[in-house]
Amino acid sequence: MHSESAAPATMSQTLTKIASVVGLTLFICWGCGKLDVAINTKQTIAIGTFAATICTTLFFWNHRVAVAFAGLSVLIGAHAMTLDQVIHHTELNIIFFLIGMMIIIGALKDLGFLTWIIQSIINRKKMTGMTFMIILCFLSAVLSSIVGEVSSIVVVMALVFQVCDTLKINPIPFVMTSVLCTNIGSAATMLGNPVGVFIGSKAGFTFGQFLFGATPVALICTVVSLAFLLIWYRKAIREMTVKMEEHRKMNKGLGPLVRLPYRLGLFVLTGTVVTIAFHHQIEAALGILGEGNQNAFLIMTPLLVAALLMIYRSKRAQYYVEKEVEWWTLLFFMLLFSIAGGLQVTGVTDNLATQLTKLITGGPDAMVPFVIGISSVGSAFVDNIVFVAAFTPIIQSLVERSIDYSILWWALLFGACFGGNITAIGSTANIVALGLLEKRGHACVAFLEWLKIGSIIGLITGLIAWLMLSIMPVPKPVIHGSHGPVPEQHAPAHNIQPLNLEPLNL
Amino acid sequence: MSLSSFFNKEDILILDEAMERDQAISKLLEHLSKAENVPNIEQHLKAVIERENTDCTVVGDGIALPHARLTDIDRPYIGVATSRQGIDFAEDNDPVQLMMLILIPSSQPGLYLQLLRALGSVLSDKQAASRLSEMETSLEIMRFFERDGLTLPDYVCAADIMRKTLITLRENDSLQSAVDCFINKDLDEIPVVDKDGDIVGVVSATSLLHVCLPEYLTWMNDLSPIINFEPFTNVLRNEQNTWLADILVEDFPSVQVDEPAISVAATLLKRQAAKCYVLDGKKLKGAISLPNFLNKIFRE
Repeated sequence: MHSESAAPATMSQTLTKIASVVGLTLFICWGCGKLDVAINTKQTIAIGTFAATICTTLFFWNHRVAVAFAGLSVLIGAHAMTLDQVIHHTELNIIFFLIGMMIIIGALKDLGFLTWIIQSIINRKKMTGMTFMIILCFLSAVLSSIVGEVSSIVVVMALVFQVCDTLKINPIPFVMTSVLCTNIGSAATMLGNPVGVFIGSKAGFTFGQFLFGATPVALICTVVSLAFLLIWYRKAIREMTVKMEEHRKMNKGLGPLVRLPYRLGLFVLTGTVVTIAFHHQIEAALGILGEGNQNAFLIMTPLLVAALLMIYRSKRAQYYVEKEVEWWTLLFFMLLFSIAGGLQVTGVTDNLATQLTKLITGGPDAMVPFVIGISSVGSAFVDNIVFVAAFTPIIQSLVERSIDYSILWWALLFGACFGGNITAIGSTANIVALGLLEKRGHACVAFLEWLKIGSIIGLITGLIAWLMLSIMPVPKPVIHGSHGPVPEQHAPAHNIQPLNLEPLNL
Repeated sequence: MSLSSFFNKEDILILDEAMERDQAISKLLEHLSKAENVPNIEQHLKAVIERENTDCTVVGDGIALPHARLTDIDRPYIGVATSRQGIDFAEDNDPVQLMMLILIPSSQPGLYLQLLRALGSVLSDKQAASRLSEMETSLEIMRFFERDGLTLPDYVCAADIMRKTLITLRENDSLQSAVDCFINKDLDEIPVVDKDGDIVGVVSATSLLHVCLPEYLTWMNDLSPIINFEPFTNVLRNEQNTWLADILVEDFPSVQVDEPAISVAATLLKRQAAKCYVLDGKKLKGAISLPNFLNKIFRE
């Protein structure tokens, strides 16, 4: 997906890529027609537009926003969607949430809180290679589940480079450990990955439900992966222990010893997370529940905290908004959600859901490994949000038929997040880590080297997710997704009972 | 291509009296103009003198190579003058016995450096200038330049434009020596070599600053917690027992001596560096800084 090379492509390379995009798009349209997924012209156009957007992210990463803009014009021009539908499906609630979180993280960086985390680890006494790996693994997982995978990997990479450069050892085993655990941890909460908040919002999960459903799986996957990585990288760990010992004997530290203020940053982060965690209860207390207000306080909390921070540091407010918010990415998300909405509006996802139930007859449980598998492999090569945006309406359609299918939301979440570990281009965290590694002048991780360890961890975590989903009672949505076409009276009876403060169906 | 193909015996002038630099250059230029019909000699004289005033071109024992890059000529011209009595080129140099005046079209920036390399054996021969000044005819002088070995290389290589590195540190030197070097010699980067003269890395003032102030400390907008250089304390305390091997950067821009000079430019650009090291295998031979490179290619 993010394979736009630094060197300018030759004309023949560009033409080959264009031919690949057109060829793949036409093939997907033809295949969908044959499989009775695209029954009419509007459906074929909706599929074609979505397929072209996916193929563009694969071959022309830098042009994805341009193609998505053009795609929306095609959908409106061909009467596949109305302008109102396009605007409605941009999922502004998710975009607002992400904007708020990005501003908060920017301010936390500014306040020195993220620096303090690194300093606290560097200043630990009697650290060994083994303890460093354990700290690294849990720090990556926990931090990514709270501040998001991209911000987390930037912090953890700074720690890895500081320690490895000081000790003069190869950072790659530790970079890999951080990235793999970051992707696993990003599935633990709604804050970890845009995929999480998207699924949570579309499915109608509360933050608390998400914690009950996702955190145990992510935690067990982190522990098992750590055990595996400790064995896989044992030589590097041993070398680090020896170097740390030598360093200690010479009375040298792993970095500068500085006391930094952290209380304000810690207070902001804890306050945000706790408020988000109780958003459902706050919504109930304020009476902002029901259709049109789903997860309203979940979305508003980051904006509210961002507002307070921008007032507190008014001189930096403009910087936070202009530099800390990734507008390009968010714009692509909005356009992508809209194009994926086209699949829903034209009925393509209903057709796909019907075909899926015909193909896999064993019910929701039989579909779990299928969804985990396909979303893992898909996310390994295509941006996971693209994959999730396409798959979401299909699951919504299945959930409309039976609430038992809601288990597939979790399968999709774990598949999309854990699948990002399989290849070097599987998630944004991977790309950022590789970029930082390259910038620091360290050797690059070869695609196959990544694939070897990534696919093992991907397989292990995928199997754990499947197993846990089979034995663990997972929460079912309290309310339907914000744009789900199901009228309230069609929802299963147990699903429209008065909103509880506790997650249902645990 | 041989060096002698750039001139013939008519372009050689034997001066029979001692004279000043500008007068000798003027005489040789006039001679060259008559022999080769070179246009605009007054302007060329001005250009050569200006170049000479900027940086003296006495390159070896009794040899000077005054030259200029000109826009109104389309081929190089070389004039040779010998003087038994000597030409006064610069106050701090002995009079020169051999002067080669080189006019180069500005469209061929590497040609002067190629000619310099072709003259390598002449420049390194301490007796060459004096022997040539003893020769009585231009034919004899021409024969001297027609001998084997005086051929132009196909391209300018890194060795042609490098400066020999004078200051190096050893990997078992302490950080203290590096800091002293940075301060006393006004350097911002020093190569570090092992006992065999093989380069093992580079220690720069920037890398030292990075050790004191890692990037993650600069994430903070408010630097008041470190306003009194707190992060430097640890480094200062260990200045004497921190070895350069601990802080040197092993991945530095480098080229081999025989690599084309253009690859120096490519390396400097790719690495966004200001200096490139020239190696023979692993042996450090010299360094090329960006101003050094630009001067060699655009001006010298």
